[in-house]
Amino acid sequence: MTPRLMIMTLIFFLAVGLSLFIGPTNINPFSLDETSREILFAIRAPRVVVAVLMGMALGASGAVLQGILRNPLADPYILGISSGASLTAALGIISGISFLGTFTIPVLAFAGAIATGSLVGMLGWQRRGLWPERLLLAGVGLSFLCSALLMLLMSVSRDEGLRRATLWIFGDLSMSEWPRIPYGMAFVFGGMIIAGLRARALNALMLGDEFAHSLGFTPHRERVLLFVAVGLMTAASVSLGGMIGFIGLLVPHMARFFVGSDSRFLMPASALGGGALLCVADLIGRSILPPMELPSGVITAIIGAPYFLFLLRRKNVLSV
Amino acid sequence: MSSPYRQMILELGDVGFSYSRQDAFVTKLSFSVGEGEFIGLLGANGSGKSTILKLCCGILKPSAGFLNLWDKPFSAYHNKDRAKLISYLPQTLDMNVPFTVKELVSMGLYPYDILPEMTADEALGLVGLSDKADSHITELSGGEKRRTFIAMTLLQGAGLILLDEPLANLDIRYQIELVRLLRRLRDERNISVVMALHDINIALRFEKVMLIKNGKVFGMGSPAEALTEGAIKETFGIGVKIMRQPDGKAYITYEENDNG
Repeated sequence: MTPRLMIMTLIFFLAVGLSLFIGPTNINPFSLDETSREILFAIRAPRVVVAVLMGMALGASGAVLQGILRNPLADPYILGISSGASLTAALGIISGISFLGTFTIPVLAFAGAIATGSLVGMLGWQRRGLWPERLLLAGVGLSFLCSALLMLLMSVSRDEGLRRATLWIFGDLSMSEWPRIPYGMAFVFGGMIIAGLRARALNALMLGDEFAHSLGFTPHRERVLLFVAVGLMTAASVSLGGMIGFIGLLVPHMARFFVGSDSRFLMPASALGGGALLCVADLIGRSILPPMELPSGVITAIIGAPYFLFLLRRKNVLSV
Repeated sequence: MSSPYRQMILELGDVGFSYSRQDAFVTKLSFSVGEGEFIGLLGANGSGKSTILKLCCGILKPSAGFLNLWDKPFSAYHNKDRAKLISYLPQTLDMNVPFTVKELVSMGLYPYDILPEMTADEALGLVGLSDKADSHITELSGGEKRRTFIAMTLLQGAGLILLDEPLANLDIRYQIELVRLLRRLRDERNISVVMALHDINIALRFEKVMLIKNGKVFGMGSPAEALTEGAIKETFGIGVKIMRQPDGKAYITYEENDNG
């Protein structure tokens, strides 16, 4: 582990610790009474775990996608995966179906994400290969279509579930609960393991397909594997807590500033950075105006955008 | 066309290839590369030099014929094993990759689980970029960037190196130094080199050249045999004169108002 990656790991654990013990009610980890134990384990811990998982998934997915699409503006939502998830989740919320109890909406969101991701993959496939430009255009096109259908659905709906659906779409961590977490964790870590094992191939793909071939990789197969990894991580993230903007775009650029562009370090650094940023954003969102909660996506953008603009001024940072 | 005294490391027999269903771009292409050979690939723009190199390294798949690497069919090799035997430097390089010089050069070691003899620092030393190891690729000049990619290709340590116009963007000094370096590596390590190039004056110093026209080998042999005025006129469509220096070395020149 490089020293800079170690520093990021420390920052990550610091952010997780702060999120667990600081909030509208501060908790002293060395003297837990019944109430604080209840707050810590039943409310705060699942919320922090969900924030960590979502942030890690989005950060790592952003790093992978910016590499395979060779585009510094790529983020996990650009492929339309989240719009598809939002559409199916909103359909579920507004129609009031609950065939799997509290799992219904996450499962619907996951199914929507996987269906959209597969459709983007099929549209991006031509001549026995997955082509970055086609993937990007297919993702943007499907994303617009799903968003338009979502808007249509919300504009004609009179349902009470509308507010809940809107909150969910803009990222809502307040509904985090333990039973969903193992499933989300399996898909997030599954995606991360696939992406981590293909980190060298991702580096080679960034040089172009011909170099990747010369270095012993099969470019199209590697892109499919990395795309599947991103699909799993993004789908799991959206189904855990809706859409949190900016992390997938911003965090890989921040991480690149610390550890460089070698995907073997950039991916873990982006995962740690994403987890830390979302924990802090959620902490701020629930602490600043209690009992009101500000959406984490708004906070990540408010923290991230100025830093992103600062990075823009620095040479060589905003490239992939 | 084969060299009986050398071990054959690459052999193409009646290879065919087409980019579209209608027109065959390469038909019945046959040649071989022996161990330690240093071959210049010459031809007009669009004659098929890059296509032939891509067929040789497996980026393009032949539609007909056979391709053997070290006496075994190309398809018999696992990707990683093939990458240890044959490396390819493409003509078009993405010069704005986000890596440092050393990060990029070190990628040459990707096919290996056990590291080979050469280190990234040595490879950088060979192309004269030791002092730029920590620089970002985007901070280098065009020639330095190309030399960085060449260092990566060298570090890959393959026995056969295919280079598609590696001399582009290099000033005269680095053009000559690169050819000398590759020749030295050939002498020391017995590697084979096939290089597409445009400068006939440099090709005249090669031991063997291959003239390509319309996807076929038009002529192959020593420069004296293959690079005749007639053959150059036939392949490039321009008349040149082959002159001799007092020491006997050949060079080409052309008439200002030559109408071909």
